[in-house]
Amino acid sequence: MRKYILAHLFLSTLSLSAQDEVNTTSSFLDKTEFKIGYTGNLIWNNGLSFGAEYLWKEKVKIKEKKRGQKRTTHQLLLDGILGFTNNFSTKTDAGMFTNYGLTWRSTTTKGKQISMSFNPLGYYRSFLPETYEVKGDEVTKVLFPGRSYYAPSFSIGLGKLRKGKKLTGRYFNINLMYRTPYNAGTLPSISFQYGYRFNIKKKK
Amino acid sequence: MQKIEFHKLKIVLFALVVLSVSSCSKDDDLGDLSNLNDTIILRHKNADMPAYIHGNGSEKVFLITLHGGPGGMGLSFRGTAFNSIENTFALVYFDQRGSGMAQGNYSENGITIDIMAEDVLALVKVIKQKYGSDSRFFLLGHSWGGTLGIATLLKDQQEFLGWIQVDGTPNPRDLYLEYIANFERVAAEQIDIGNSIPFWELVNDLLLDVDPEFNRDDIPRLNNRAFEAEEKLNNDNLINMPNGGRNDLVFKYNLVTFFWTLINTQSKLDPGIQGVLSYTDRLPEINIPSLILWGKHDMVVPTVIAQETYDNLGSSVKRLVIFEKSGHAPFGSEPNLFADKVILFIDQNK
Repeated sequence: MRKYILAHLFLSTLSLSAQDEVNTTSSFLDKTEFKIGYTGNLIWNNGLSFGAEYLWKEKVKIKEKKRGQKRTTHQLLLDGILGFTNNFSTKTDAGMFTNYGLTWRSTTTKGKQISMSFNPLGYYRSFLPETYEVKGDEVTKVLFPGRSYYAPSFSIGLGKLRKGKKLTGRYFNINLMYRTPYNAGTLPSISFQYGYRFNIKKKK
Repeated sequence: MQKIEFHKLKIVLFALVVLSVSSCSKDDDLGDLSNLNDTIILRHKNADMPAYIHGNGSEKVFLITLHGGPGGMGLSFRGTAFNSIENTFALVYFDQRGSGMAQGNYSENGITIDIMAEDVLALVKVIKQKYGSDSRFFLLGHSWGGTLGIATLLKDQQEFLGWIQVDGTPNPRDLYLEYIANFERVAAEQIDIGNSIPFWELVNDLLLDVDPEFNRDDIPRLNNRAFEAEEKLNNDNLINMPNGGRNDLVFKYNLVTFFWTLINTQSKLDPGIQGVLSYTDRLPEINIPSLILWGKHDMVVPTVIAQETYDNLGSSVKRLVIFEKSGHAPFGSEPNLFADKVILFIDQNK
């Protein structure tokens, strides 16, 4: 059942983004921001993450106030992220993950941002040190040892839009990722993500 | 010109061959056995379990340690006592299935004491593969690790030259009743001599409140109160302040992962153990040299179980040592004496 849900989410994401491309005059790169930042929980896991956000829908609300216009932009973004983390104190908690899903982001006139991301498509691969597998009396050394997990994630965050700068914004997210099946259950893990967004195409 | 290029290419190829050969032979190069600091993973029955190997392996004598819990941390043993043992022998700190940083993908039936005992025997095979078939083994289990150690030996004790039981019961089935009897006895003694009277009166209240027969819901209440009782006994100078713990342990284990794993593992294992499992009748089958180490004031696994274990073991070489100023963890409260007893035992039986 889970496979069907994942396939549906993936295909609907593709079809929605395809529809949007038809309706827009902006190029893919105009609507895509890349991001790079720290990911980890400061104590046990520290690493880097790289990602991209593609603007799918945008709605601007303008309210007239006494002090001037208040402009709030709501965006729906298709996002993807690839991250690596390691515990430098031990060799037993290193891994790579990748997540894909949707981000909702709101930006105020002053550029302050809040966001929420839901990434139902997620994969986590742990990397293990020297590993030996025992089957009966046979002991064999495992090549490229590690384990794979389905790893959806959810995050909430704050950010700041940096208009007219090469680094177009910065963000701070608190991320909750699950790894399943992990030891006959589902392991939650919490991490922080702090980094910068940039657009590789110069804006007019 | 082409000749020179070809010559360079030959040098590069030769260098690559030399590097490949040297990297292939690295597995066999065990390095300095007298100062081991290795982390290896045992993959067995859909679980990947870390074994942290430290200490002096020059004699290839390995002491495999089984932590408490279930769901504890292998490296939690490290401290004054075990560091001292590491100077003489190699210590294997093992994160059991569903514990510490062990990970895997198995069903709820994939974590039982039987499978965990098989994991320990599989670990022996891995250590032999890595360090040589002439490696020799001793097994030490603390608390829950004591129960698991007995389960392991009952499957196969041939690989082990000796067994060290530290404050662990072979009989979790009757531990509930032992808690109650021990609390009644110690509370009466402590009130009699005027130590921490309000606390021991609370203990008596708890005893009136819990089910007099085995009740799974009351176990956590008794267990938590047992740890609190040891704190009181420590305040009243009956138990030495535990020392020499690893202050960097918090960086070795992701505590979110650790606690989640602990709760998850206990919820799956405990129903098949507490109030159910007993190896007391099978203790006579264990005939390797055995050393029973126990804290006199152990409130978590009461001291009466030490004598019962000693009496029932089938070993012709066996010894019971009671640590006068200790509770559930004598390696923390009397580390030097603890290390001396373990080193002497291994020396005599290696």
